[in-house]
Amino acid sequence: MAETDVHGMSDGQELPDPHLDTSRLRQAPAKYQGLRMFMRNKAAVFGAVLLIAILFITFILPIFVTGDRTERVGSIHLAPGAEGSTTFGTDYLGRDVGRIVMQGGSATLKVAGLAALVIVVVGTTIGAVAGYYGGWVDNVLMRITEFFQVLPGLLFAIVIVALYGASTKSIVLAIGLIAWPTIARLVRAEFMRQKNLEYVKAARAIGASDARIIFKTILPNTMPVVIVQSTLVMGGAILFEAGLAFLGLSNPKDLSWGFYIGANRTYFLSNWWGLTFPGLMIFFTVLSLSLIGDGLQDAANPKLRGR
Amino acid sequence: MRAETPLRSETPLLSVQGLTVTFDGFTAVSELSFDLYEGQTLAIVGESGSGKSVTALSIMRLVTLGTRAKIAEGQIFFRQPDGSTIDLVQADEAELRKIRGNQISMIFQEPLTSLNPVYTAGNQVVEAIRLHQDVTKAEAYQRAFEVFERVRIPEPKKRLKEYPHQMSGGMRQRVMIAMALSCDPTVLIADEPTTALDVTIQAQILGLMRALQDETGAAVIMITHDMGVVAEVADDIVVMRNSKLVETGNVFDIFEKPTAPYTKALLASIPRLGSMTGKSQPERFDLVDMDAPV
Repeated sequence: MAETDVHGMSDGQELPDPHLDTSRLRQAPAKYQGLRMFMRNKAAVFGAVLLIAILFITFILPIFVTGDRTERVGSIHLAPGAEGSTTFGTDYLGRDVGRIVMQGGSATLKVAGLAALVIVVVGTTIGAVAGYYGGWVDNVLMRITEFFQVLPGLLFAIVIVALYGASTKSIVLAIGLIAWPTIARLVRAEFMRQKNLEYVKAARAIGASDARIIFKTILPNTMPVVIVQSTLVMGGAILFEAGLAFLGLSNPKDLSWGFYIGANRTYFLSNWWGLTFPGLMIFFTVLSLSLIGDGLQDAANPKLRGR
Repeated sequence: MRAETPLRSETPLLSVQGLTVTFDGFTAVSELSFDLYEGQTLAIVGESGSGKSVTALSIMRLVTLGTRAKIAEGQIFFRQPDGSTIDLVQADEAELRKIRGNQISMIFQEPLTSLNPVYTAGNQVVEAIRLHQDVTKAEAYQRAFEVFERVRIPEPKKRLKEYPHQMSGGMRQRVMIAMALSCDPTVLIADEPTTALDVTIQAQILGLMRALQDETGAAVIMITHDMGVVAEVADDIVVMRNSKLVETGNVFDIFEKPTAPYTKALLASIPRLGSMTGKSQPERFDLVDMDAPV
């Protein structure tokens, strides 16, 4: 049938699709499209601005504000704006609340950030391996995951910190060990769904190894889920660290937000500012992280780009 | 049916002998044997569930992946470019990884889902090249550009940077073909490559595959249920039904003198121009006793 030349169009002329106006898509280079998607989400932009402000207050501002935060600046329990007081008032030892809250953030954020990193790395790796291989590997890993999931989190963390001392390392370890199962289960479910998709089969058909398929083929496809979850995890870690510190399980020298709330608890009825300002910092940090997570979800999904 | 058939070399490039694949006791492919010769196109035809795709995946040894399938019996001999022959059923994973995509590659049915959605088209072809060849990223990119040109993708430079969702189905299938051809394989397995595409794009893709086969000299295994496609591209034909071989032979012989009743029925199922003349309604298809002895 060589005379019936049906492949005369093989010079590659695609028929234009009148319903699909792709000209707009191709204007922006691919690498800026994610940023554009993020910028379109107003709440996420607000969250990002908020987080930048918080990071500025906790890490940059203390460089310019001189004076030791443990130093006594006036009488005790002076309300904000009262005579002889500071902008944010003084606490039960006559220290400046504003200065303590400003400098205490770095301890909270450092612990929470490291814990979130541990959670995401451990959770993603275990979930990916379990979901990809299935069978007995999945069984063993999921039983381990369940073991950590049924542990009473706070008690377990208290035991760890009691055993190894209230150092950054032990608190990070405690939070990490409690919180990784959620991400592991999420990533596992995502891998179980994706591993049977055609593109994974195609990757194997071009000769990709297991490790390559797990980390380079499937993992980037689970990233929208992981990124969103990790911002939530980060917020959760901040709250958990604050909770531990509130109970006194943190380095007292750090004067972290949670610890400071715990310290001011006794004077709550007469001194509202000692609790409120560190509390607001925790609230805004967690809020900004979840708003950013929402925006990142849109940005990480290439299918939503250009819409 | 092709006008000129190149002379057959003596030993087949790929020889499947007595292949039996089972899924938990159910036999998906039973005692299947066929040969594929250099530069030729072999069409495996049959209805859904006849074992065509399982056969293709068995050659790639991808059939056991994520399923309970097992290659119970048989050998698949493949002559490698260096002249040595390997039994793909016995080969280990490391050997298979070197063969997949490099010497035997595969095109799948669904171009919409067989590209990774998070990488650009160019990136995926570059990865495929760098898996098998020790080249720098820039060299691989240049090679990807050339392959894109070879599969007649218009504006290849721009297309390299596009994500799969920005492309049409036909364009994605061209990218798949580009990826499959990027390492100059000697065997190309196409599992219903045109089923998901509309008719005009089907013709383009088939034409392209034929042109590429002439350029590269690769042997093609075309899996299809469309006798029209078979007539268009095949040299040899393997007819399968219920996991068994029904009939095999040269495409001219089978189309002119089919011996098995099933092959006859399959050929009769193609609508012919003028077959409705003088009839007001379509008629019921004649039932054929498929299992009658030949």
